[in-house]
Amino acid sequence: MASVEERVIAVTARVLQLDPKEVKAEHRFTKDLGAESVQSIELVAMFEEEFGIEMDEDAALAVQTIGSAAEFITRACKEQGVEA
Amino acid sequence: MRLVLFDPLNDSRIRFYPLAYSRPIWELRCGMTSLGDKLIAKVKAASVAGFVPDYMADACRERIVFPINDAAALRGDDLLVVNARVRADALTSDVQGPSCVMLDAAGECLVARIAKADLERLQTGSLDELLASAKATLPKAGETPATWNYTWDLVLANPDQLKADFAAADRHGIEGTIEEPSAIRGNRKDVFVARGVRIHPLVVLDAEHGPIYIDEDAEVHPFSRIEGPCYIGKKSLLLGAKCREGNSIGPVCRVGGEVEESIIQGYSNKYHDGFLGHAYVGEWVNLGALTTNSDLKNDYSSVAVSLDGKESIDTGSTKVGSLIGDHTKTSIGTLLNTGAYVGSMALIAATGKPLPKFIPSFAWFLEGVVTKGFGKRKLYETAQTAMGRRKIKWTAAQEQMWDAVFQMTAEARHEAVRKGRRALRALQG
Repeated sequence: MASVEERVIAVTARVLQLDPKEVKAEHRFTKDLGAESVQSIELVAMFEEEFGIEMDEDAALAVQTIGSAAEFITRACKEQGVEA
Repeated sequence: MRLVLFDPLNDSRIRFYPLAYSRPIWELRCGMTSLGDKLIAKVKAASVAGFVPDYMADACRERIVFPINDAAALRGDDLLVVNARVRADALTSDVQGPSCVMLDAAGECLVARIAKADLERLQTGSLDELLASAKATLPKAGETPATWNYTWDLVLANPDQLKADFAAADRHGIEGTIEEPSAIRGNRKDVFVARGVRIHPLVVLDAEHGPIYIDEDAEVHPFSRIEGPCYIGKKSLLLGAKCREGNSIGPVCRVGGEVEESIIQGYSNKYHDGFLGHAYVGEWVNLGALTTNSDLKNDYSSVAVSLDGKESIDTGSTKVGSLIGDHTKTSIGTLLNTGAYVGSMALIAATGKPLPKFIPSFAWFLEGVVTKGFGKRKLYETAQTAMGRRKIKWTAAQEQMWDAVFQMTAEARHEAVRKGRRALRALQG
């Protein structure tokens, strides 16, 4: 089964139309991957859909990198009793 | 005698959302004034007090001049307790007389007339206690006063109410300035231009089919055409507007494009071209250029409105436009469907297609779906900026009220967000 980070990369690549192989944990959504503001919102929505969780929008939008998104989502899954 | 207006938080109140999320129903407009103004004028009471849902009480106290949710107002005088939904013109014979209560078919108290002497045997610790004890002990009047039941009732009644309010105001003539060449059609007695109003050249005031009342310090730019009946509020600005019949535009609005039989509460902008018809628009709304609403279906059938995103209510009218809550902003080119409900504090980025008929409050409508967007905090910052531009402060009490509205509207919003996520996922394949 894919790890949380791999799934975050897959969702990000799909929303931003990137090659998943080119997306790394240290990449920043806006500066490195080119996410525009509307795409950031779309990413939050797609992470919620992928993992079956609810994310606080202010906290979620403050997350900057793929790696920290994976940590944030892992924490949210644990808090909401969802298997990641 | 003291007039006590009350606006209980019950199922009847929901029918006035999204406009009533942030104000008592008696502050809604119809004609030249609010429903409360009409009740106060009708009753001619020595004093007035009001009772509103607790979550908005502090915000109301900041702007309403009479006591709000103060139980002391329930003692010491004869009382006429009037539900905010009661039509002022339905109170003809109810103001004076012995103590009694008037209930609607569901048993909700619409009017309680209570003599000071009878108050001693009633519970006056709170309004709820007073009404419960009044219902239990006072005789029930056979008549039931007519009520406003939905927001669109106000829109549909607006043209006739404008005529009635103009007659009641009994103001005529030109106290402001009208620059030549401009034209007044119809009877000049059906026009009142208040002091401080500036009407630029090349404006037509067409009072042939109804009166026109332009209130203090309003300004009308060239190529505007105003058809009566119409009310333009204080300090509002018309920018080459095609202002068709039956409009009530509250204070400090900026209005351009085509507007017909609509009510704008106040402090809202519809600066540019685009059609607004049979709509009720709240305060601090900004309708982007070319925002247009449909108010008539192609098959001429009656318009249905959903107040909760689930059940649709048949309005019984073939002409109903949009209901748009306070602080909502639409982008350029927004297309609103017939009978659309757009909640308060919503942000709409148009996609070129007509919007869904129900957009919940605090929704960010992006990429054709409802999302959480940048959240509530960003919407508050925008509201603060918009109000600051008109020298009005965003206060802690208002924020507290909107926090409560955020909670009240959470279920409908979450459902719409979940639906939006699924739609986005499907789009991505």
